[in-house]
Amino acid sequence: MARYASLYGLFLLQRFKVLLEYRLNFLIGASSTVFVQAAGIATLWVVMRQVPSLNGWSFDELLLVYGLLTASRSIEHMFADNLWTIGRQYIRSGGFDRFLVRPIDPLFHLLADRFNHDGIGNFVIGTLLVVSAWASLGIPLLPLYVLYAVLAVLSGGAIFIALNLLTATTAFWIVESVPVTRAVHEMHEFAKYPLSMYHKGIQAALTWLIPYGFASFYPASYLLGRDVGWLVWAGPAVALVLLLVAYRFWLFGLRHYSGTGS
Amino acid sequence: MTLRRLLSRYTGFSGMAAKEFLAYNIWFWMNLFTSAVAMTIFVFFWKAIYAQADQIAGLGFQQTLNYVLLAQVIAGVGESGILWTFGYQLREGRIALELLRPLDFQGMLYAFSVGNWLTGLLSRTPLLLLALLYGLQPPADPLAYACFAVSFFLGASVMFFFEWMLGCFAFYTTEVWGLGVTLFAIQLFFSGTLIPLDMMPEGLRLFAQILPFHQIVYTPVSFLAGITPVSQAPQVFLGQVAWIVGLAVASRWVFSRAVRAVTVQGG
Repeated sequence: MARYASLYGLFLLQRFKVLLEYRLNFLIGASSTVFVQAAGIATLWVVMRQVPSLNGWSFDELLLVYGLLTASRSIEHMFADNLWTIGRQYIRSGGFDRFLVRPIDPLFHLLADRFNHDGIGNFVIGTLLVVSAWASLGIPLLPLYVLYAVLAVLSGGAIFIALNLLTATTAFWIVESVPVTRAVHEMHEFAKYPLSMYHKGIQAALTWLIPYGFASFYPASYLLGRDVGWLVWAGPAVALVLLLVAYRFWLFGLRHYSGTGS
Repeated sequence: MTLRRLLSRYTGFSGMAAKEFLAYNIWFWMNLFTSAVAMTIFVFFWKAIYAQADQIAGLGFQQTLNYVLLAQVIAGVGESGILWTFGYQLREGRIALELLRPLDFQGMLYAFSVGNWLTGLLSRTPLLLLALLYGLQPPADPLAYACFAVSFFLGASVMFFFEWMLGCFAFYTTEVWGLGVTLFAIQLFFSGTLIPLDMMPEGLRLFAQILPFHQIVYTPVSFLAGITPVSQAPQVFLGQVAWIVGLAVASRWVFSRAVRAVTVQGG
């Protein structure tokens, strides 16, 4: 474990050396996601000026939901972005074989190979939204709440990573896995808003099937004192189970990997 | 050379757009799926919003629903992606080859874009069906459809020349990714893909109308959604044509200057 931690540090250091060679690109990339998020938030603001609430949620409360989801997503965006490109960048080119002959875990190698700075923008936006909503909603600054929020974002991030790992593993069979990953990943858009505004079937799907709800709606409900039952505590467990399932599937896929012959 | 032969050289590029589209089947379905997700979210979102108010900025629920669904159906179709094309061709050095062809470079890419718009619109038919399922009430007046088609085509042309000018930055910066993402975000908001411009506060709405982005979503869709009456069509078209003429001239001029910088890039 300690060996992998120090290895990751080395990978990260190399990555930053590369990134800082191209300083302007680094800045543009890191801030690019900010613009896209701004478009979404501006839309919400325009609409929420006209009505007092969305399904009983005020503008600030919606920002908390949005912020928690964005922060969770940024974890995946920064640390696991290579899951998106495994088919195109590694398997098709045969570069993946390089991981298999090294004395470290191939999945670790894949993830550590590229820290994605584009996720920094999402992280900053998400954190800012949570902090500002927290302040304007007057949520008490108790250690329990802070710890809960941090844990919620980490579990949310793990859910994002686990779902991408599940879908990226299909690359071992179909090579270009991005459409599969994208289709599942896109479901996180639902979780940008309170799940309570959707049909029961969608709520259930976002809770039990593709559980992005644990990255936003459930933790926000807890912080705002809204009663949604025991599910507010389920996030970390859901994340852990999903990670285990995804990792088993990854190992299964790895055993079936035969290379593209390129 | 006869006009017919000349034209056929360009329409060949329009046909190519259709073939390219058909070659990437799985991507097509994925894009359809993500649009369907967005549509579903919007339907629930606006239902929840209109539970609080009968009218927003003078628009009733059905009108807003019509608008939002149709905007989602055609979202992105009117983009030409000229910026990405330039970025790609510069990076690969292919631009040198393209400029050598005995055809007008801009005319060629315009023809390609026209093909893209047509295939794009056709490819959205499944989304239109989904929109109808979600309660879209299309207008009865055939003129509204004609106005939509004309203003969409003109609007997409406006954006083609606008993107062409922005694309010329690529000749100097050689990197278009940041500009592309920024443009995407600005367009998402100011085109009216997410909300009808009518809902924006006064100052913001005026600003959005000065920018050209609304021409590929808000302008055509508002004819179909009954926001812009058909009687205003001549005025709208005239404005769009003026945009096209102005931008076409400007874009050619900017390009002729920018292309001098291309030599430093090479292939």
